[in-house]
Amino acid sequence: MATAMDVETPMDAGGEYELDLGNLLVARARDPVRLSNGTAMTEEERDAEYVESGRELVQELVDRLFNMPSTVDKAGRLVKLPKPSLQLPREKPLPKARPMTKWESFAQTKGIKKRKRSKLEFDEGQEEWRRRHGYKRVNDDNDIPWIEAKSGDEPGEDPFAKLKESKKERVAKQEKNQLENLKRAAKQGGKGALPSTLQLAATSLAITGSKQSSQRVSKTDLGDAAGLASTATASIGKFDKKLPGEKPAKKLGKHRKFLPVVDGEGKEKELITNVMRKVLAENDFSGLDVNKAVRAHNVEESGKPSSKKIGGKKRADGAFKKGGSRKGMSPGGKPGRSPGKAAGRSEKKSSFGGKPGGKAGGKDRKGSKR
Amino acid sequence: MRPLDEAEMTQVLEKLHKFVGSNLKHVLERPSHEGPDGKGGYVFRLHKQRCYYVSDALVRRATNVGREKLFGLGTCLGKFTKSGKFRLTVTCLDLIAAHAKHKIWLKPSAEMSFLYGNHVLKSGLGRITDNTAQYQGVVIFSMSDVPLGFGVAAKSTQDCRKLDPNDIVALHQADLGEYLRMEDEL
Repeated sequence: MATAMDVETPMDAGGEYELDLGNLLVARARDPVRLSNGTAMTEEERDAEYVESGRELVQELVDRLFNMPSTVDKAGRLVKLPKPSLQLPREKPLPKARPMTKWESFAQTKGIKKRKRSKLEFDEGQEEWRRRHGYKRVNDDNDIPWIEAKSGDEPGEDPFAKLKESKKERVAKQEKNQLENLKRAAKQGGKGALPSTLQLAATSLAITGSKQSSQRVSKTDLGDAAGLASTATASIGKFDKKLPGEKPAKKLGKHRKFLPVVDGEGKEKELITNVMRKVLAENDFSGLDVNKAVRAHNVEESGKPSSKKIGGKKRADGAFKKGGSRKGMSPGGKPGRSPGKAAGRSEKKSSFGGKPGGKAGGKDRKGSKR
Repeated sequence: MRPLDEAEMTQVLEKLHKFVGSNLKHVLERPSHEGPDGKGGYVFRLHKQRCYYVSDALVRRATNVGREKLFGLGTCLGKFTKSGKFRLTVTCLDLIAAHAKHKIWLKPSAEMSFLYGNHVLKSGLGRITDNTAQYQGVVIFSMSDVPLGFGVAAKSTQDCRKLDPNDIVALHQADLGEYLRMEDEL
C-alpha cells in the first residue's frame, strides 16, 4: 500500500502503523498470527485480535481528527484535512493521443515548430494596431475602398468579386482538409478518435435512398414497429380488421395502470400507509431539540460561552486526557476507555459551549454534534 | 375519479404534513362510521385534477355517477396544477384546522384584512404557537378560535418578537374570503 515515502508511520502499543489523514486512512501492516511468546493463535483469538486492533486504529484516527484545528459550520465543526500523502491509482486509463493531422505530421518530419504570434499587428494602411484575425482585423479585404488597376487586368472584371471568390476558395479548401483529417483519424482509431461532437454523426443511420447500408434491422424490430403502427388509430386498434394469419403485436406501448376505483381496499390502504410512513420518517426531527441546537449555535457564533461553562469544560478536558493516555498504554484499551466516556457524559450540557479549535476529547465532541 | 398513484400520494401527504405534522396519522386513519358495517375509513380520489378526501362508503355511491356528470365528492383538498404540483385549496381548511400543529391567532382588527387576501402582519398577530419554524405551514384562527385560513410562517416564533409592527409574520395561502372571491373556481 505504501507507495509514497512520506506516509506517516507512528508507533503505538500494537506496533507501527500507517496514517494518512488526507485519505482518512489508517492501516497496520502486521499479521497477528502469533502471540508474543511464539505460540500460534486460534481462529477466535485471531478474530478478536483483528477487531481490537481495528478499533484501536480507528480510535487513533478519530482522536487525531478531533485534535485538528476546526472551524464552526452550520452542520457542526469543520476540519480541513491535510493533503493526502498516499497516492491512489488512477481510475480510468490515460486518454489516447489525438491522431495527427496531415500538416502536423508533415511539420514533424520537417522539424517545423509552432510559434506563438502576437494577437495584435500594426496596420500600415490604417496606421494603428489591429487584431490579426476576426472583426476589425489587419488588412481586411472589406475595408479596401478602391483597388488600383494593373496593366494585366482584364477589362470588365470586378476586382472586388475576385477577392471574395478567392476567400471562398481558401475557406472551402480548409474545410476539405479538415474533413480529410477527420476521415483519416476515423480510419486509424475508429469512432473514438473523432471529437465527441462528431461521434454521433458518424453513427447516424444512412439517409434513405443513399447507397450506404445502415445497421441491419432485425425481424423482431420490424414486427414491433408494425405492431405499434397497427394500434395507432382512433380506437387504439381495437376495431381494426385483422388480416388472416396476423398475430397480435407482441410489444405494445406502456399504459398507466391505477388501482381499482372501489375494490382496491387492501392495496390502497397499504399504499397510503407506506407513503405516510415515508413522509413522517423524512420529516422526523424528534431526536433533535431545535431550541437547544439554536442556542448552541448562537453561542458558537458569538464565541462567548459563559464563564461557568468554560470551567466545566476544562475539568472535563483534563479527565478525558487522563483517560486517553491510560488507554494508549493499556494493552486492551478497554480499562482506559471508561474515564473518558464518563467525562463525556458529565460534560454533555456544556459541550456546546466549546471554543472553535479547542481541545475537547473526541467522544464528547461527537456526542455534541448529534 | 380514480385513486392516486404513488407520486401523487406523496405530494398530497407531504403538503398535508406541512400543516398537520405527525397528526397526519390521525387524518389518514380516521374512521368514517359509514358503510354497511360502519367500519369505513377515508381515502383519496382524483377527479378532474382535484384531490378529494372521501369516505369509502361515499366512493361506492359515487361510482353510480358518470365521470362527466360527477362534479365533486367528499372534501376537496386541493388541485394539481398543470405543471404537476399540488396546491391546497381553502376547502380543506376544516380538516387541517382540526389537526393543525402550528397555529396563529389574529387580533379582531386584522381579521378583515386577512380575509381580503392579505398577509398577516406583526401588528395583527394575537398569539402564535411556540416553536413554529420559519416556512412552517400554519393555520390561522380568529381570537374566538374560528379557522380563517392558512399560510406559511414568514418568520420563526423567536424572530417574530423582534419584528416591526409592519413586518409580515405569515404568508397568505388561502382564506375564507375565497368562497366569495373565487366562487366559480373552487
